[in-house]
Amino acid sequence: MSGRRWLPWAVVLPIVGLDLFICVRNPGDLDRLLINMILALSAFVTLHAKLLSLANAGFMAIGAYASAIISIKLGLPIAVSIPAAVLLCAGVALVIGMPVLKLKDVYLAICTLGFGEMVRVLIILTPDLTGGSTGANLSTGFPYEAMKQTRTWMLGVLLALLAYLFWALSRSRIGRAFRALRENPQAASTMGIDIVAYRRFAFVLSAMIAGVAGAFYAHSVGSLDNGDFKFNRALDILSYAVLGGSGQWFGSILGGGFLTALPILLREVLGASVGFLKNFAQLPNIINGLALLLVVIFLPGGLASVFGAGRKRPGPAAAGPVRELPDPDKATAPSEAPLLVLEDVSRHFGGLEALGKVGFRMQEGLIYGLIGPNGAGKTTLINLVSGLFPPSSGRILWLGREIQQRPAHRIARAGIARTFQNIQLFREMTVLENVIVGRHTHIRTSLLSTLLRLPREGREERSARADALALLERLGLAELAGQRAGNLSYGDQRRVEIARALAMHPRLLLLDEPAAGMNEIETRKLGAFILELKKHGYTLLIVEHHMDLIMKICDEIVVLNFGRKIAQGTPAAVSRDEQVLEAYLGRD
Amino acid sequence: MDLSLLSDPVFLLQNLIDGLSRGALYAVYAMGLTLIFGVLDIINLAHAATFMWCAITGWLVMAGLGLPLPAGLLAAMLAGACIALLLEYVAFRPLRREGSDRLSTMISSIGMSLIMVSIAEAVFGVETRRFPSSVLNPRPFHFGGLRISPAQILIVAASVVLMAALGYFIRRTRMGKAIRAIAANQKAARLLGIHVEAVIAVTFVTAGALAGAAGILVGLLTNNIVPDMGGQIQLRGLAVVILGGMGNMEGAVLGGLILGVIETFTIAYLPGGSDLKDAVVFLILFLILFVRPNGIMGRKSAERA
Repeated sequence: MSGRRWLPWAVVLPIVGLDLFICVRNPGDLDRLLINMILALSAFVTLHAKLLSLANAGFMAIGAYASAIISIKLGLPIAVSIPAAVLLCAGVALVIGMPVLKLKDVYLAICTLGFGEMVRVLIILTPDLTGGSTGANLSTGFPYEAMKQTRTWMLGVLLALLAYLFWALSRSRIGRAFRALRENPQAASTMGIDIVAYRRFAFVLSAMIAGVAGAFYAHSVGSLDNGDFKFNRALDILSYAVLGGSGQWFGSILGGGFLTALPILLREVLGASVGFLKNFAQLPNIINGLALLLVVIFLPGGLASVFGAGRKRPGPAAAGPVRELPDPDKATAPSEAPLLVLEDVSRHFGGLEALGKVGFRMQEGLIYGLIGPNGAGKTTLINLVSGLFPPSSGRILWLGREIQQRPAHRIARAGIARTFQNIQLFREMTVLENVIVGRHTHIRTSLLSTLLRLPREGREERSARADALALLERLGLAELAGQRAGNLSYGDQRRVEIARALAMHPRLLLLDEPAAGMNEIETRKLGAFILELKKHGYTLLIVEHHMDLIMKICDEIVVLNFGRKIAQGTPAAVSRDEQVLEAYLGRD
Repeated sequence: MDLSLLSDPVFLLQNLIDGLSRGALYAVYAMGLTLIFGVLDIINLAHAATFMWCAITGWLVMAGLGLPLPAGLLAAMLAGACIALLLEYVAFRPLRREGSDRLSTMISSIGMSLIMVSIAEAVFGVETRRFPSSVLNPRPFHFGGLRISPAQILIVAASVVLMAALGYFIRRTRMGKAIRAIAANQKAARLLGIHVEAVIAVTFVTAGALAGAAGILVGLLTNNIVPDMGGQIQLRGLAVVILGGMGNMEGAVLGGLILGVIETFTIAYLPGGSDLKDAVVFLILFLILFVRPNGIMGRKSAERA
């Protein structure tokens, strides 16, 4: 593998390079190449956020027509018309995004496809403004010379700026949050990442990039036709980003360059000897189609996964001295109220009652156990408290405030962290990165300081990294920090999950079967660690089947059976309870 | 809106007939699409390209070889079955083995669609082709003030036969039961000894044959066979599938009829309706998705199919 790393470069680079050479002779081609690279980035943004949006052609059309109308009909310079058009795209994306982004994968694709066609219908229906179905003509449309106002260097600068934007974002907490949510949105939300907001950000950013590409397209081509923005355009843009790969931004630029370059190259170079290539108008479409098909089947990570393979992963920094555990973050509203109260909490799935009128309260600083036979509703309860879904009825109070309707990311920010029974790490990220994601809400860098690379960002990143490393050290995982999380053993993965949750410095830590898959020695170590957490002031709710562990560490135990609370009390009291014995052992 | 038209019952009835026959077409097309989605969780965006190739095959057989309509229909359905099988082997089966998500199958079907349409354009050019008038008498029958073309009668008859046949196949036959089992749980079906790959192949053949029939019927109705004819029906098919609930056969039929009638009425009753009809289709699509993301007759995805 490593021996042939030069191979993809050897294929792609000469083609793009040769094409640049050809393009220089024909400036129109160079503009097109640059515009397509920009468009590729717009599709990358949405794909990266796991949104299959086909709206790019529509936003490109909006950008193109809006800037053309503003600069020709209102006579304003492109310095005004292009930014205005981009803002318009952002506005439309915000409005459209509100309902559209609630839809699931394929529905989103279909809906955005419909949106693109709708934009074209609007263009056709407003001939006075846009030239309508006949495209631009001199009387109603856009005079060629007045339109052609951009220069190739402007496109180059724009592409460079965008590349910088993506480079800076990908290294920041924002980029990390995107990587987390594209791998496991559920786990990301329990780390305090607002998935909806991030998806909206991606959609709007994508629309703006498509819009600016469209505006430049209008001013570099010099005429507009609604046919330029048909469904096929959306597919072209999609194929650039798919070929590039949805993991790394630079892949899309390569993908866009490659797919624009290849047909031109084939025509110019091979066309001289192979006659029919010269006039083979469908060649680009066939190449795009093949690219989509082959990449999805044989190279799911796209070009970026090949070129990015040699990239160094952020290795573990020198392990510092073993530090003290962090204390839970108690900045939030000190209160007389108990930490967490459940009041008559029920949850139904269809006709099935998973949890019925369960209620108990938790005092700060104690360890609570939650036990019961399989299917008793333990994980459902953890899911309700962490906000993955709301209860069907009943109230959950956190420091006296109702939180049962809050989304998971807000509950996480309030100070509740969790682990999962079926491990939900960000498998493609390193162990260290996983834990740094846990610091997400504590890093307070703004978009602006990310882009300007202010020292504050570096400082916060470094401290988050140091925190994460200290936690890993404490859990005996320091030497695994640079490993891909998915490669770890089962027990190690469980510990990484605990480290990730602790990185949030939560006031309440929910552990869903933390000892599952661990051997006796590991379990004992885990027990000692949990007791140490208690000493630091953490409150824990632990679901576990290892009875000796539960009996040894818990201050109080809640027992569930068939979704009902059947007992609550100290370990000693619970282990003598008739109902509990019956639930576990059956009646003799 | 032209109010005098509203009070004209003959005009209303005429449009209802036109709308229903158009809707029957959409239903036949959408049944294939929804079948693939219901059973395999795949949005096959190459269904439109399959449909287009079938119409062209029908044209080749009828205009090129001079064979009658039944032969053309048969050839088109056969072509549809073969193309769908090819799609399954080239674009979908490799992805199933690696256990990838809905988006990747959707993207690979988009790739296939691009290739198929481009090849058709390269080979047949972009000019319009028509079925020879000898295959079906184009002169309409007159009943009172109503005008009904033989193509419309054929379309409605053919769609009813196809719907009934498909319903019988899925509900009453052993293979249909296997298809439903795979729709419910592919893994469990495999463990129970169902030859999953074979059944999936049959599902694709069925969907392809439906696309073939739709291709011929649309060719008869619009008499306009071009390589990009799939683009028109692509979005309508998706709208119908969503309207009826993804993977729901009866829903697809009902949704197709509803969409056909709405489209015809838009053209008939709204000024500038023929320009607006696309907008109306998309508006419906948006509205349904926002109000009822699972479609009118849609069930929760877990209970689907």
